[in-house]
Amino acid sequence: MSDKDKYTVVEAPEGYSGSGFFATTLDKAVGLARKNSMWPLPFATSCCGIEFMATMGANYDLGRFGAERLSFSPRQADLLMVMGTIAKKMAPVVQQIYEQMAEPRWVIAVGACASSGGIFDTYSVLQGIDKVVPVDVYVPGCPPRPEQIIDGFMKIQELVGNEPLRRRYSPEYKAMLESYGIKTDSYDK
Amino acid sequence: MEYTILLQELKNKFEDKILSVDEAADIFTLTVNSEAIKAIVTYLKEQQSFIFLTDLCGIHYPEQEKELGVIYHLHNLVANKRIRLKTFVSKAHPQIDSIVSLFSGANWMERETFDFYGVDFVGHPNLIRILNVEYMDYHPMRKEYPLEDATRLDKDDRFFGR
Amino acid sequence: MKTINSEHHLDLTQEDEKHYSTLNLGPTHPATHGIFQNVLMMNGETIVGAEQTIGYIHRAFEKIAERRPYYQITTLTDRLNYCSSPINNIGWHLAVEKLLGVETSKRVDYMRIIVMELARIADHLVCNSVIGVDSGALTGFVYVFQEREKIYEIYEELCGARLTTNLGRVGGFDRDFSSAAIQKIKALMKRLPKVLHEFENLLMRNRIFMDRTINVGGISAERALNYSFAGPNLRAAGVDYDVRVQEPYSSYSDFDFVVPVGQNGDTYDRFCVRQTEMWESIKMINNALANLPEGKFYTDVPSFNLPPKQDVYSKMEPLISHFKMVMGEIDVPKKEIYSAVEGANGELGFYVVSDGGRTPYRLHFRRPGFIYYQAFPEMITGSSLSDAILTMSSMNVIAGELDA
Repeated sequence: MSDKDKYTVVEAPEGYSGSGFFATTLDKAVGLARKNSMWPLPFATSCCGIEFMATMGANYDLGRFGAERLSFSPRQADLLMVMGTIAKKMAPVVQQIYEQMAEPRWVIAVGACASSGGIFDTYSVLQGIDKVVPVDVYVPGCPPRPEQIIDGFMKIQELVGNEPLRRRYSPEYKAMLESYGIKTDSYDK
Repeated sequence: MEYTILLQELKNKFEDKILSVDEAADIFTLTVNSEAIKAIVTYLKEQQSFIFLTDLCGIHYPEQEKELGVIYHLHNLVANKRIRLKTFVSKAHPQIDSIVSLFSGANWMERETFDFYGVDFVGHPNLIRILNVEYMDYHPMRKEYPLEDATRLDKDDRFFGR
Repeated sequence: MKTINSEHHLDLTQEDEKHYSTLNLGPTHPATHGIFQNVLMMNGETIVGAEQTIGYIHRAFEKIAERRPYYQITTLTDRLNYCSSPINNIGWHLAVEKLLGVETSKRVDYMRIIVMELARIADHLVCNSVIGVDSGALTGFVYVFQEREKIYEIYEELCGARLTTNLGRVGGFDRDFSSAAIQKIKALMKRLPKVLHEFENLLMRNRIFMDRTINVGGISAERALNYSFAGPNLRAAGVDYDVRVQEPYSSYSDFDFVVPVGQNGDTYDRFCVRQTEMWESIKMINNALANLPEGKFYTDVPSFNLPPKQDVYSKMEPLISHFKMVMGEIDVPKKEIYSAVEGANGELGFYVVSDGGRTPYRLHFRRPGFIYYQAFPEMITGSSLSDAILTMSSMNVIAGELDA
């Protein structure tokens, strides 16, 4: 009676299957919880670090956005805020700190020196931390005003709130980490 | 203390080691033989009360025969007088006596001069690079080396006007 | 095991070395304000030796300076001791003025004194509140940073930037103090004494703070002089060497101020010396504002005095001369000079060798932080780790000044 060859099966449109459909509200709920309670690791090396101290102070107050608890240990941090010039001597340390952070982790490059080497085009300065770690948001400025740092933080919050749950296990993400020389052996679960 | 008296006393003690004197400069400047530098600094510290080493740095004059220079600034705090000593060595034999035994503060200053210019301080307890990475194999402040990183591949000369 | 701290010639036997442990402090550590590494050799809780590694933020300032005309070097000096950038900027301009042989007017000198003393207050506020933070007292830090915001607002009125100010010109300033700036300075000078009193009530006679800082990290005057200490660290050890008094620059000799001196050279003395210097700076600023002489806010230095902006935008010769000055097509005499100012950390010196070209042939910064940080292992040997942390923060080591 019913001839299966007469029916064609249509692919569901994107977003209605897989991680896009069943987990949307869960994605958003987890994202909302994560973005309003980010624990930053202030990797302050130079002048931008002093502007960060002003951002954490009472006048500009990064604590309003949930980032009140600064973690100096990478094992307990979500967000690596690299603020200041990274010299070539320091580059392996940045990568080591990044590797010690647990997924999901984000990186924000605050200041011109962290984004691209800044005004120091010399033999000893790394021209941007994106040579050693993958960066999510760049905040330009020398140093950026606290309002700019907060703007960068809010962009990170947008990224965190909209991130799919299985992004960190996807092969594209692993390939990107491999391109920086960061090992992904434990990324199978 | 008058500089003329000081100069006379120094000349009496170290006649042939003082190569030139510049009294018209902003600070009384002496250029001395590199072998006598430690003796002169000891004399200034112990006999003439120049007990404060303000600074120790290097310099490179490629067109001179003795290319690498080390410049010492000493300060007599009580009489408020400064003195500048200059001494030059060649690139082939860049040895100078270290003054760490007189001034502990010269430790890192000499390491910095070694790091940047390659001057070898004989008698320094720990003469290794201080500011640059350990595996760097050249002395960057010499005039023949460029400022930018020579190993960069991503800098496009079209955008930099070269 | 490699004997660390070989240069300090510790008499350690093989037996001793087996019992000691090494602890790595840094380069990223909450207590090291700036990135430098200390590897400590510890016998239980007591520190036996320390080995330091710096250079993690070496940005090759001296090599960059050989490529930059004299005005463009001001931006480099900002980033030396970035907590008090105006002192570095004005120090550099004073060095160039010494090179050129320029005399500035009294008004310029008094304006410079106001700006430098504000910067000194800003730097000492950071250092003292951070000593509090490292000993567990976070409240003082938050109160005091509000005052730093007020100082930043004053800098914005004067030059447009908060932290890396690039302030002033050779021979003076680019604009006069506006009425808003003077109003803000006066308001701050009214507020600051109350806040400083509150801060002192929290910490200075606090039993816990005193127990943690007295006799901690001390250094004697002879050793401090041997290490070429300068600034508050040297004055806390008992030597009253202040460049503003020894070799007055920018009309400091018109002002009557006290140079505070400590006795033991320990952390508490450094805290108190900085605190007293802040009170003296407040007096000096009030004095300078009250007696600000009339006159020009700039000096007619040929080849360095940029023409007024209205002329640059409308007439031809000012436009050309502005372009030539900024691009560095200027004549400088062939000399070498050494010029020093009293930075917040001590004697900040500039050794400039000029060969007559548009850039210096050699520029060396005499950075006080680099020089006195060498004494750190000697100051902490025999104390515990928590004492070492407090000693480090009371010495006010700023990484930008350390590595240049």
